[in-house]
Amino acid sequence: MFHRSWRRVATAAAALLAATTIAACGDDPSDKQDLSGNRVGAMADYGLGAQFKASEPVSFSVLYNNHPNYPLKDDWLFWSELKSRANVTLEPVAVPLSDYEQKRGLLIGAGDAPMIIPKTYPNQEDAYVSSGAILPVSDYLDLMPNLRDKIERWNLKPEIDTLRQEDGKFYLLPGVHEKAWQDYSLAIRTDILDELNLEIPKTWDELYTVLKAMKARYPDVYPFSDRWSKPNPAGNLLNILALSYGLQGAGWNFQHASWDANAKKFVYTGAAEQYKQMLQYLNKLVAEKLLDPESFTQTDDQARQKLANSKSFVISANAQAVVNDYRPDLAKTNPKAKITKIPLPIGPAGEINPASRLENGVMISSKARDSKNFVAMMQFVDWLWYSDAGQEFAKWGVEGTTYVKDASGKPTLAPDVNVIGIHPEASKHLQKDFGFYNGVFAYGGKPELVQGFFSAEEQEFQKVLNARTPAVVPPPYPFSDEEREQASLWETPLRDHVYQATLQFALGQRDLAQWDAYLTELKGKHMDSYLELVNKAYDRYRTENS
Amino acid sequence: MVTVDAAARVGETGPPAGRRQRGIRPSRGYRVFQAFNAIILTAVVVLTLYPFVNVVARSLSDEAYIIAGQVNLVPRGFNLETYRLVMSDSLFWTNYRNTVVYTVVATLISIVLTTCYAYVLSKKHLRGRTALVGIAVFTMFFSGGLIPNYVLVTSLGMKNTVWAIAVPNAINVFNLLVMKAFFESLPVELEEAAAVDGLNTYGILLRIVLPLSKAIVATMVLFYAVAFWNSWFAAFLYMDRQELWPVTVYLRNLIAGATGAENVGAIAEADEVQAEATLKAVTIVLTTLPILLVYPFVQRYFVRGVMLGAVKG
Repeated sequence: MFHRSWRRVATAAAALLAATTIAACGDDPSDKQDLSGNRVGAMADYGLGAQFKASEPVSFSVLYNNHPNYPLKDDWLFWSELKSRANVTLEPVAVPLSDYEQKRGLLIGAGDAPMIIPKTYPNQEDAYVSSGAILPVSDYLDLMPNLRDKIERWNLKPEIDTLRQEDGKFYLLPGVHEKAWQDYSLAIRTDILDELNLEIPKTWDELYTVLKAMKARYPDVYPFSDRWSKPNPAGNLLNILALSYGLQGAGWNFQHASWDANAKKFVYTGAAEQYKQMLQYLNKLVAEKLLDPESFTQTDDQARQKLANSKSFVISANAQAVVNDYRPDLAKTNPKAKITKIPLPIGPAGEINPASRLENGVMISSKARDSKNFVAMMQFVDWLWYSDAGQEFAKWGVEGTTYVKDASGKPTLAPDVNVIGIHPEASKHLQKDFGFYNGVFAYGGKPELVQGFFSAEEQEFQKVLNARTPAVVPPPYPFSDEEREQASLWETPLRDHVYQATLQFALGQRDLAQWDAYLTELKGKHMDSYLELVNKAYDRYRTENS
Repeated sequence: MVTVDAAARVGETGPPAGRRQRGIRPSRGYRVFQAFNAIILTAVVVLTLYPFVNVVARSLSDEAYIIAGQVNLVPRGFNLETYRLVMSDSLFWTNYRNTVVYTVVATLISIVLTTCYAYVLSKKHLRGRTALVGIAVFTMFFSGGLIPNYVLVTSLGMKNTVWAIAVPNAINVFNLLVMKAFFESLPVELEEAAAVDGLNTYGILLRIVLPLSKAIVATMVLFYAVAFWNSWFAAFLYMDRQELWPVTVYLRNLIAGATGAENVGAIAEADEVQAEATLKAVTIVLTTLPILLVYPFVQRYFVRGVMLGAVKG
């Protein structure tokens, strides 16, 4: 999940390159509905909230993302419990986490993919759509009552629509959150704030004031020195800034098209007025020596060293970085230091929570459609990944063994079980010894479930962000294969130019008075044609699906 | 490493130069040259050794000192926690054993095949020799691509076996050409003499040519062994079970798991945090040390001038 957005950009690019010009070959619709030969093991009365149990033992192959912190074990309670509860045996094809995406692409390309392909982030499926190797799962939602229920109750339709391809179908069963979960923000040394009698900044403007005050007190220090600048400069900072300015994403999550709700059309992110404003803001920070110019080029380790040695007080953060990196670093160099992740600073776009409610999800191999157990498999996927009981099982494990419930039904970890340091002295580990809370099977769901293992501090952070309005989900603009190919040819030079110019503008190497010249350069790189393509696809989709 | 040693040897004790010097006082120019040589070569040694010593020092240091950027040549806050963490995992040892097995098997196959191919190609009277060289060289520039290779290996039933690693990479064309050039440099007269004395082709190869080619064979063993020892990609492609992975895949995954964060919003245990800072260094030490230890044993074959005095008159 770390670098989630970055990965999305990378794989989207790969996807576009890989897309062939052959149109997805659709089967005869009547053929799709005929599932009479595929019902072996399926439950006739499977429905919302039901416990799935195959009517005879079935087994499904599954691509397994092997995490080194809890390497795959055959004797996990997770597997045996799946057997007894659902009558299902999963046959994992273990792939090292380090190169999961590459192997997934290879297996799908070679026609050797397992039936269930989890850990696929939205848009990563694009690359495989035209080959026909991946099942258009939207055709089979009637087999998945729990997923349909969640889409309806949590109003996920706009999000789901963004997954639709040109044929109006979607090919990924996404992980779904009831509440958006924004993790990335900034971390600030609160002891310095206390020393200067300052409050935690709520907006980007307040952040500026705080940095000014820090600079006044410590003139030799760049108060803000950022990390996550590889491979793109200031990946996280640019992204959260762009989101707070109402754009779709920048930095490591660069999105070419941003939705302009007033004009009802897409605009080019790197050319938007908001993008100029955020560059002005960054430029101001750099010019007044509040933001370390090396923020855009240094490695994470260099940024951490500066923070640890009090050469900076503000840095990009997620919950994990604060607890695993910054606090241990500071504890060793400066025990009095305190650092905390602050709620995402508010920008011109107002109090929004920009995170998406879609998570990585599951693709189904087209071959699985021919299996006699196909219906049972879809029911099983629906139960394990989307039912409340299945999600709770995948995350918490077995009641009485790995967790206990109090009178109100709130689960707590059993005292002899440890995970993420909750019971450090416990002899057993929820992930390593039981196989639960596994990134392949457990994610998304209700906030209570998602935040089950969060620290009080992180729950507080989420409470603040959940109180904000969810960001508007842009309408879908699915490309045809030809369009995707064309777009990908334009995207790389455009993105490179935006990155380059962003750096120059922010560092003051180029005057913002030259903004119009910059726009002309983008036009020379087919920005207008690109936008035309996007808006045409948007119009087409809207008229076809209204 | 090899380069440094070779350069040092030439610089320090060039045998012909030394012999000529014996009676006469070394000229001033020569002594200046020697001094410069010593300084430059020492600098090269330091430059080459420093990163490695630094990595070893990091692997033994406490994370705090690494974060603070204070670890150079000497470990600070001596600590074996990361080694303990990595080595306490039984999967690590399983995978380490795999690496040894894969390396030995694959190197053996590679050496046999490369030697045979190179020896054949070195015979000028072989008909179709150009075509055979062409076929080999062709693969240096063109390949079927990842997916066709995968399909091929899979349909040959080699997936999840050592053959998937050993066979597709058995002949490295660059090594093949080096070996061919070496065989070509062997005097034809030797083989003709052997033939006159009644040896057939195989006899000539096994009893005459190979004993004279220890240097090149040793070099090739080293090249292949290092390549297979370090390789991870083939194993990553063709091994579907973690018990079959070599240690390179294991450690690569370990680093990915420690630096990328899987459970965002979660907090890793303290021992895993310690691991992160030193993990890369420990990984490098654990994977390079064994293969490094092989160097001294193979080194002497590089030194030997095999061909000296083989042909008289």
